[in-house]
Amino acid sequence: MTVAAVLLACVLYTYAAGRLRRRGDAWARSREASWWLGGAVLVCAVEVPWGTWLPPFTAHTAAHLGAGMAAPLLVVLARPGTLVLRTAPVPVRRGLLSLTRTRPVRFLVLPPVAALFDIGGLWVLYRVPLPAGVHHSPLLYVHLFAAGTLFTFSVLALDPLRHRPGLPLRAGTLLAAAAAHAVLAKSLYAAGPPGTAYAAADLRLASQLMYYGGDVVEIALAVVVAYQWYRAEGRALRRAGRPGRRPVPVPVSVPVSGPPPRGPRPPAP
Amino acid sequence: MPVGPPQRHGMPLTRRTLAGGILVGVGVAAFVDEVVFHQLLHWHHFYDRSTTDVGLVSDGLFHAGGWLATVAGLFLYADLRRRDGLVRPAWWSGVCLGIGGFQLYDGTIQHKVLRLHQIRYDVDPAPYDWTWNVIAVLFLAAGAALWLRARRAGAAAHGRADAHAGTA
Repeated sequence: MTVAAVLLACVLYTYAAGRLRRRGDAWARSREASWWLGGAVLVCAVEVPWGTWLPPFTAHTAAHLGAGMAAPLLVVLARPGTLVLRTAPVPVRRGLLSLTRTRPVRFLVLPPVAALFDIGGLWVLYRVPLPAGVHHSPLLYVHLFAAGTLFTFSVLALDPLRHRPGLPLRAGTLLAAAAAHAVLAKSLYAAGPPGTAYAAADLRLASQLMYYGGDVVEIALAVVVAYQWYRAEGRALRRAGRPGRRPVPVPVSVPVSGPPPRGPRPPAP
Repeated sequence: MPVGPPQRHGMPLTRRTLAGGILVGVGVAAFVDEVVFHQLLHWHHFYDRSTTDVGLVSDGLFHAGGWLATVAGLFLYADLRRRDGLVRPAWWSGVCLGIGGFQLYDGTIQHKVLRLHQIRYDVDPAPYDWTWNVIAVLFLAAGAALWLRARRAGAAAHGRADAHAGTA
């Protein structure tokens, strides 16, 4: 099921990128590779029976990192929104654009809100008593992937959005979310999710996997955000250094002496 | 996206250099703490049960912040090089201030007040605490001395750049 859905998404992406290129537009191969790799990571996270090699909660954590953090980063780097806006039939594009202008969507993609959904969901998952088996349900991974993608999408802001949030807000959100992730990971070292009875050694391994694994993806996110800043600074420098772009004083055509002409302008010849 | 004010190529950016150095210094101190004392020596504990909740939050912020500060500091460094505005003494001053400041915070607030973890277990921690904090103060002093030098160097370079602009 997962494999079929992911494969369909990958084939559609390649088809759309190919259409762009046949039309003469550029679409980087690296984006396409990132999309396929993200799909592969997602399939690996969900379909590989991690539990055969790892203790149960550590197995869950491995899948959580893959589906909720690594795959979303790769998928968002592929800029699927931009691709859809450039290749889909016009009614679809219009629909998507008006969807991004609705109030709920604009609220959801605010970085702090997206972070609250993603990290807040994790806190609920690990700190609120939930029915047994939730930690291994396939729907849980759908949620983790969706929430992780929403968070990554809003912090990186690569695809066009009506009001692209500024760099300080995105960087601050990343810091707060990374800290909250580290705190939650560390607290799992001492106490597992309520209502579960994972072995202490399992919890400790899972906690450290979540703590250090989270770091790797968060550093990658920070590198992308910092590189965006670096490129913007470079563009500003080039603009400032380019001669001839400074505002040139407009030559005065009206004689300065005497009052300016009033009344309707004479019709142009 | 905020973009810095355009400035003439080659103007020394002393304060921006200092900020970049501090970011990298904090990152280096956090990294050394993590790798040497947690992973290699196993002196620090990943988590000990006497940690307060505030201690956990502080640790999480500095753990995540250390990595993000390193990334931000390195990109600032690249930008300063591109603008030819790097002031080397200011950079090293920032690195020393960042290392010393983080280590002093870690050694006093995090280890003692918030009881995050001790430097070493099953021994009297006092000599370790003293060594830790004295090293931190030495880093801070070195950073302050370098900052004074950087300000003099920056002022001299400003003079040169202004003179150069005047003749152009």
